Amino acid sequence: MGALDGVRILDLSWGIAGPLGVMMLAEQGADVVKVEPPGGDPFRAYSGYAVWNRSRRSVTIDLKSPLGIEAFGKLVDDADVLVETFRPGVADRLGIGYAELAVRNPRLVYLSCPGYPEGHRLADRPGYDALVQASSGQQWEQPGWRMGPIFLHMPMPSMGACFLIPSGILAALIQRVETGRGQHVRTSLFQGALLYTTQIWQQVEHAPAPFHDLMGKSYPPGVHQQFLFECANQEWVHTSVMSGLTPTKSQDALLGLDDAPDPFAFMALPPAEREAFTQRRREAYKLHDRAELVAEFQAHNHAIEAVITMEEALGGGGHPHPQLVANGMVATVEDPELGPTTQIGVPINLHSTPGAIKGPQPLPGQHNDEILGALGYSPDAITTIAGGGRG
Amino acid sequence: MSALEGVNVVDFGQYLAGPFGPMIMGDLGADVIKVEPVHGDGMRLAGKPFFGCQRGKRSIAVDLKSPAGLEIGLELIARADIVHHNMTAGVANKLGIGYADAKRVNPDVVYCNTWAYGLEGPLAHFGGLDPLYQASAGLEYEAGAAQTGNDPLYYRFGMCDAANAMLSVVGSLAALYHQRVTGEGQELWTSLMDGAAVYASDALLVDGEAVERPRLDQGLHGIDSCYRLYETQDGWIQIAAVKESEWVALCGVLGVPELAEDARFAVASLRRENRTELETLLAARFLTRTSLSTAYALDDAGVPNEVPVDTHGGALVLNDADNARLGMVAEYEHPIMGHLRQFGELVQFSDAPGHIDGAPPLVGQHTREILELLGRDVATMDGLKSDGVITWPGDDYPWIV
Repeated sequence: MGALDGVRILDLSWGIAGPLGVMMLAEQGADVVKVEPPGGDPFRAYSGYAVWNRSRRSVTIDLKSPLGIEAFGKLVDDADVLVETFRPGVADRLGIGYAELAVRNPRLVYLSCPGYPEGHRLADRPGYDALVQASSGQQWEQPGWRMGPIFLHMPMPSMGACFLIPSGILAALIQRVETGRGQHVRTSLFQGALLYTTQIWQQVEHAPAPFHDLMGKSYPPGVHQQFLFECANQEWVHTSVMSGLTPTKSQDALLGLDDAPDPFAFMALPPAEREAFTQRRREAYKLHDRAELVAEFQAHNHAIEAVITMEEALGGGGHPHPQLVANGMVATVEDPELGPTTQIGVPINLHSTPGAIKGPQPLPGQHNDEILGALGYSPDAITTIAGGGRG
Repeated sequence: MSALEGVNVVDFGQYLAGPFGPMIMGDLGADVIKVEPVHGDGMRLAGKPFFGCQRGKRSIAVDLKSPAGLEIGLELIARADIVHHNMTAGVANKLGIGYADAKRVNPDVVYCNTWAYGLEGPLAHFGGLDPLYQASAGLEYEAGAAQTGNDPLYYRFGMCDAANAMLSVVGSLAALYHQRVTGEGQELWTSLMDGAAVYASDALLVDGEAVERPRLDQGLHGIDSCYRLYETQDGWIQIAAVKESEWVALCGVLGVPELAEDARFAVASLRRENRTELETLLAARFLTRTSLSTAYALDDAGVPNEVPVDTHGGALVLNDADNARLGMVAEYEHPIMGHLRQFGELVQFSDAPGHIDGAPPLVGQHTREILELLGRDVATMDGLKSDGVITWPGDDYPWIV
């Protein structure tokens, strides 16, 4: 049993934020139907698609045909939530905007997540993730190995919006328990990007000196970057000054630097001396095998992680991250196209109503007969609804 | 009525991965009480990052290690819908505010603990900071294009804290919905480690073997020849020529229509295969042009693009008329920092007005107001203060924030 059992979601989204945000709800129990255009979601070929679109059923509907619109309307009548990621105005033109559907189903929670908010001067511009990275200023905020904007490999605006989507839907569902009414909930990739400015964008009138320093942008990249170290064989680790535990031996002693100052004395050193010692420390790391060093640091209560790829963390290479495994985050999913896959598990852990992966990504229209048949449509009608020969 | 109006959240967290989630619930309309030690949240000295996760909350400063303080903590839990914190293993139980304690005074409560690593497992006893999980989930490896020989690169945004916090919002609200429908509360947890993994959730193994996914070039420009940054004569431009028609139009604008006919680049898969070759050709063309003229020409030709904005530390975004008009900028007066601007509403509701209405609180700014709510009289409060159990800001307020 899931916390969201009985919540029915129509997922008209594509890309990253919509499918991934919906996945979080699906895997806490919501029943999700992905509504795809004839021929299927054009993003199927993209990296991540098989993960972000799992745990739901798929129906293909031609929203430009009268029968398709009729069938879609019947699905709306029974839905609690609809999620769409069209540019502002497009859903209205298709006849599936909030105003129209709320008349049919006043209990509907209708979530829109375009690239930019409706009414914004950028609203009509294309909303690809990297474009929002650029326009929201995030590429300029990230330091890299050269001056200028840096492309963020992590699709940051989408990865912000993917959390805002389920948060907004759940808030509206909770309010609906009181009011009996749904509503239009809006977010955007642009707002997803803003989520990540929480530590860096605070404009104040009076700022004591330390206010700006901690997370400041610098060349070369500063702050936590200083705690990335290269070990033997060009393998890297990221260490931490804080582990929540009491270390039984200092990091420097573990590196063989027995004459090292303690961390607070180190911070108090003149910059030149600090830099000279940092160089010695960097050289010391290079003398150590990474796996051994990580084990030794952890045995002495120091927090440290190997810099690996996510594929390695999942076990590609034979050694999945043991804590990721313990968290149930290394999951096996039998994919209809790819075969046996290893993917992330369910990252939200409710004790009495545990979540679960409900199944792999569906094939386009895989559940047409089941879903449209249940609405009373004949096989011929189902073919028409699904786009007929156009599929 | 705000979406989460009437929802009481008690936030025992400190630093980021704890408090950020309750702040977002506050944005959605919840009433959030921040319970912090009398010496203040450990994050306060950090400045900006502290400000980014405390707005809209009321702060009560109380020493939970004292019996009278614990009593106050439990009374707050008794009237809460959601209890939220990021204490490391065993700390909440030791204080007497663990789930079992909470359930005793409030059987239907939703109780959320955000961890560093997780509930159980080989590293569960560790706390930890955001960069560890940027490392373990491959974010730093990919951000720096380490496969090209570069150093791994830390993202400056504190993303794993945010992921943990946001997962805790989704989880807490899912549990609260369930509680509203069935009457049953429960315990839940999320972690920095799992939050980081969400960011790399496009990673996939098939039969145990890694499936290739797009990677950055050594210069950190982008993940595809037609989905990347290019340097121009006077700056930069980000393009996203995803469709075939956009690729052809791009070649036209750059004055190299012959590339669109070139067999090496005929389809997207070939352009990926011959990426380095194509990027060299396109990069040379962009370097002969200025950014804005190219952007307008690409607009006219229907090629998605943006000129990356240097917002001067967010100033351009936080002072933008469109953003302000649409509720995406929050402004308040702070007693020490003066006028404060930060990001505003991230989610908006047709039937629930925006709710962001309070600057980050001083240590114990609302101690008396909250204790009054709990039925304490002035003499009791003064007594607790002189015993060091509670505090509120006086003339000698020692904090910069």
